[in-house]
Amino acid sequence: MRKNIRKIISTALVTLLILGTMGCGQGGTTSKEFSPKYSPDTEYKLYIVGTYSNFESLESAIERFYVHYPNGEIEYTYLDDYINTIGQALAGEEQPDIFVVQPWMYGDERFDSLFEGAEVLSDPSLEINLDCIRQGVRWELDNGDVIALPIFATSYGMLVNMDIFEKENLKVPKTFDELKKTCEKLKAAGYDSPVMGSNTSTTPGIGYSFAYPMFAKAVKDDRSVEEDLNNLVPSSGEAMRASLTRLKEFVDSDCIDIDKCSAEIEDDYNAVIMRFFEGDVPMMLCSGDVVSGTKKRESKSEAFSANPFKYDFYVAPSGDKGGYYMDSVTIMFSVNKNSANLDMTNEFMRFLTSEKELGLMAQEKRLITPTKDYSLDEVYGSLSGFPEDRSVSFRDIALLDTAVKEFRAGAFKVINGEMTVDEAVENYGTISGK
Amino acid sequence: MKKRYIIIINVLIIGLILFIIVKYANDRASESNSSSIASFEKMTTTTEQIIANYLEDEQHLCDIWANYINRSAETGTPMTVEEAISYIRKAKISPEISGHLIYIDDGSMSGISTTASATDPSDYSVNYSHISIFDNLEISNVDGVVNLTRAYTNPLNGVQSIAFLNNVKVMDDETGAMRGGLIIRVVPVSRLEQKLVFLKGEYENVELSIIDWDGDYMIHGKSLKNSNLFEYFKSYNPMSTQEYSKVIDTIRTGVGSMHIRNSKSEDSIIAYTPLSGLDSWFLVAYIPAKELTVNRSIDWILLGIVSVGLMILLHFNIFVLMSYNRELSVTAKAANQANEAKSLFLSTMSHDIRTPMNAIIGMNEMILRDSHEEETLTYAENIRTAGNTLLGIINDILDFSKIEAGKMEIIEVDYNFVSLLNDLVNMVQRGAEEKGLTFDLDVDSNIPEILHGDEIRIKQVITNILSNAVKYTKEGSVVFSVSGSKCEDASDYVNLHVSVKDTGVGIKKEDLDRLFAAFERIDEDKNRHIEGTGLGMAIAQKFLNMMGSHLQVQSEYGKGSEFSFDLKQKVVKWEPIGEFDTAFKRYLSERKQYKVQFVAPKARALVVDDNEVNLKVFSSLLSKTRMQIETADSGDACIALFKRNFYDVIFLDHMMPDKDGIETIKEMKECSDTPNHKTPVICLTANAVSGMREMYINAGFDDYLTKPIDTSRLETMFLKYLPPDLVEQPADTAEEEKNEPQHSILVVGKDIALLRQIKEWLPDRYNVVVVKSKEQALAYLEKHEAELILMDQDIEAAGNFEESKIMQKNLQEMSRDDITSQIDEFFNESDTANM
Repeated sequence: MRKNIRKIISTALVTLLILGTMGCGQGGTTSKEFSPKYSPDTEYKLYIVGTYSNFESLESAIERFYVHYPNGEIEYTYLDDYINTIGQALAGEEQPDIFVVQPWMYGDERFDSLFEGAEVLSDPSLEINLDCIRQGVRWELDNGDVIALPIFATSYGMLVNMDIFEKENLKVPKTFDELKKTCEKLKAAGYDSPVMGSNTSTTPGIGYSFAYPMFAKAVKDDRSVEEDLNNLVPSSGEAMRASLTRLKEFVDSDCIDIDKCSAEIEDDYNAVIMRFFEGDVPMMLCSGDVVSGTKKRESKSEAFSANPFKYDFYVAPSGDKGGYYMDSVTIMFSVNKNSANLDMTNEFMRFLTSEKELGLMAQEKRLITPTKDYSLDEVYGSLSGFPEDRSVSFRDIALLDTAVKEFRAGAFKVINGEMTVDEAVENYGTISGK
Repeated sequence: MKKRYIIIINVLIIGLILFIIVKYANDRASESNSSSIASFEKMTTTTEQIIANYLEDEQHLCDIWANYINRSAETGTPMTVEEAISYIRKAKISPEISGHLIYIDDGSMSGISTTASATDPSDYSVNYSHISIFDNLEISNVDGVVNLTRAYTNPLNGVQSIAFLNNVKVMDDETGAMRGGLIIRVVPVSRLEQKLVFLKGEYENVELSIIDWDGDYMIHGKSLKNSNLFEYFKSYNPMSTQEYSKVIDTIRTGVGSMHIRNSKSEDSIIAYTPLSGLDSWFLVAYIPAKELTVNRSIDWILLGIVSVGLMILLHFNIFVLMSYNRELSVTAKAANQANEAKSLFLSTMSHDIRTPMNAIIGMNEMILRDSHEEETLTYAENIRTAGNTLLGIINDILDFSKIEAGKMEIIEVDYNFVSLLNDLVNMVQRGAEEKGLTFDLDVDSNIPEILHGDEIRIKQVITNILSNAVKYTKEGSVVFSVSGSKCEDASDYVNLHVSVKDTGVGIKKEDLDRLFAAFERIDEDKNRHIEGTGLGMAIAQKFLNMMGSHLQVQSEYGKGSEFSFDLKQKVVKWEPIGEFDTAFKRYLSERKQYKVQFVAPKARALVVDDNEVNLKVFSSLLSKTRMQIETADSGDACIALFKRNFYDVIFLDHMMPDKDGIETIKEMKECSDTPNHKTPVICLTANAVSGMREMYINAGFDDYLTKPIDTSRLETMFLKYLPPDLVEQPADTAEEEKNEPQHSILVVGKDIALLRQIKEWLPDRYNVVVVKSKEQALAYLEKHEAELILMDQDIEAAGNFEESKIMQKNLQEMSRDDITSQIDEFFNESDTANM
């Protein structure tokens, strides 16, 4: 009897283990550890170029790749003036095997050569498992080809000091109403500006982090306005009204002290992190890129070193039913199909394309993984299982940078009282020029 | 030494050798490592020179371009940008190297290149406005020294390059105005790397990097992650801020090397040196530490060989030692067997001589007791003397055997010095008188009465000397002198000077050295007729040595000798002994014939001995005690009687055929159906070798008595073990005493055993009554008279008793002779006073 029970338990555990390891399956098959396609003795030299001057998470992945192929060398190089030099590099004598591309580059004729010269990673013969990439950030061309592998994703929201919420016995707000109530309690508890952020017109700024995902969701829900927005047609500015109104409401709600933010946060990156690490800001509006800088700055902040606290990233609770998750890709890797070591380059890409490797890279860089598994970095744990109906990926909308700039400028002016919401809506197309 | 200790010591020695070898190997390896690191540092400085020379050369070529262009301007024929680039295009030899000329006077940082864009072969324009390589350079005033940029991306072909700079003056072809430009000699980093290929031959995994003041890489070795060496170092080598700052200062300020942990936490070495000719640039050479320390394995091989060799040596040594040990063991066994044989011989000799001696002396004693013929008594007396001499010889041999075996010990007790003298004189006096010698005593009256030391051995030493003096003196005298003086260095001690002077044969000077050698007899030819083993002086000397003294001899051959020694003795009681001669003469006058100590008609004793004569001697010696004595001639017969009859005391011989005394007593102890469960069993043995007493007590005997039997000791033994109610005063003695004036003595003390002993000691002429308290004494005195009240010092006497009758002493400290002589003295004085 006892033996039978043991058998049943063992079988159940083994089954659970097998099910648990399923994920990045190919056509529903069980995923497995990376299995080298070529001889481990293969000699190779790969050359990767990118926009990061310091790309330690990639270097770590390269070290892990060396375990399988020890007789090679992969060199990462930061290219100065990447926008202008990547094309030259791909045409030059020392062509990179892998190069970084960003979503906005696609469609820009300056970078056509990059995409034209990129290997089709979805080619079944390469056996690259693209299924582990989240659908929202999977970068497929209209013909279904995938020519770039998302490496990091980002979003817009806020860093939350979890220790303060625990100390004040509060839950992180999910809706705008909850945000206002929470801020009232925090203010009563002595936090002058429960929410802070960088008062800039850049993407990590207050307005963009708080309201852009809501605006993007509005465009996603009514894409008919998209073309006019891209063409800066003033009437299309109406699409901004709801999000800017909510932004104005937020600013007026005493949740945030804009003047304090301007005085205490000098820039939209380093200063944001260092101010947050002071430990007295419950919520700090920012982008995922800002979050990526936190890990290295923990030791640089005397306040944080002296009194470390737990912090997580949440989307800003701007909607009545919850916040909006802007699922954006930061950088992608493309393979130069003229690579002198194309086979090993594709092998490296096959190695990278797994929840584990992309997850480890994202964890080290503290950006959001492009895979379905958020579990490797608990800072982004709140994004796991985020409702699809309030998520916006870059595939869902096709706003050009010019349109985005207009929204950023409008949000900045509304926040700082330079424009009313009505004025911002009316002046769409010319806001950033004013 | 035990085998395991030998192995442990060997292992320790091997361990020590291995430790030394390991230390030596490590020291050598450390030296080798230090040497390797020093070579690596040297290589780094050499490389730095090569790089510095190369950079200077490249800068020089750049300067040549600039000089040519600037000279044209100076001579009034300034070149346009196009002309200048055209010149450089012709002047440069290597196709990999390109020249860029950009305007810097208007901040546009744009110009043209010698080579076209990689993407557009017709486009020669170049723009550095988005490439931040000039931030730390004073590009408007380049003064001809090496002006090198960090590694950057060549905007025309995307190749990582370094650039050499110089200022030029060119003419704007549109306006004709003179413009300030910057000539840039662009060299691919790979070209610099090619210059360092030679290093790969010497160090396979060396990687070279060039960093700036902030640690940012100008040239980046692949193993050094991060874009900044200092950041990289900090990431993988945790340390305090102070330590980190110190490391950075070290790299910035000198030439040297240090161990670091790489990204895989492996030990690595970086050597660093400033690049000469460049402002704040540093060459850093990186190499995994194992590549520099690989030679250490040779020492380990050597160590392994030595270890194996030592282990073989250890096993060989153990094998040899074991075979030696086996031989030694056989030899030791043989020696033990020989020793056992010697012990057995001594035991047997002692036993076999003592057994007939028992018969001889015992029977002779009976003659002395019973004969009234003067001539017979003389013969018997001679037999006694000869017997005692023979016993002395046997005792000497046994003592010497004990000394040789290291079993002789000095046992110190409190003793009465008068008693000791009494015994000595008593032993020697008769022999001297018989030889017609004058025996003179010269005893210092101030010698303390009670001393602490080995009374038996002192007595034995002096006896040996005195016996010798009597033996070797034909006529004249023997003078026995004892004097005492207080030790100056120890207040509790007295220094006894003992001297025996004779008018004997004397000793030749050349024989003096042999005097104390065992079994040596001096002047053997002359002294053949004198009995002796030649052990007496040797034993005396050994005993004195054991007591911290030394026997000295002064002798004149033919005239006499004087033997003397000084002996330090602890004093227990400082009371002087007084005039010994008087006491001794009294003692002599009181010496009388044998008298039985007690009668015990109701007492039953069993004596067991296989020798019928001995059984007869035993019975005869005790005949006057009127005890009921039964005999048995074997162990079995003894056991049969033991089971059947009750006895008050059993004397059991040790050496018997078939079942010896030990086996017999073992069987007796196991016997349950006997009325003699509590009967004391005394071993009667002729075996008097060392260690016998312990053996008999351990075997179950209550006591032991050696043969030949001394009547007095035998009777004393009976008195000790017989129940007191069976012991009576001998009738004839009582009758004799009736005729003599009786003195009554009351002895008062707390120790009953001692009181009983004193009562036994005192002669029959005294009527002794013992009581154990003052109250009992007073109660006794109410109805009886006592002429002397002998009280222990613990009893309070004051006011209760007639003082003239009281003699209060420390009875515990007093010997039999002390008590007897002092009581005699009391009554002598009393009698004299009454007359």
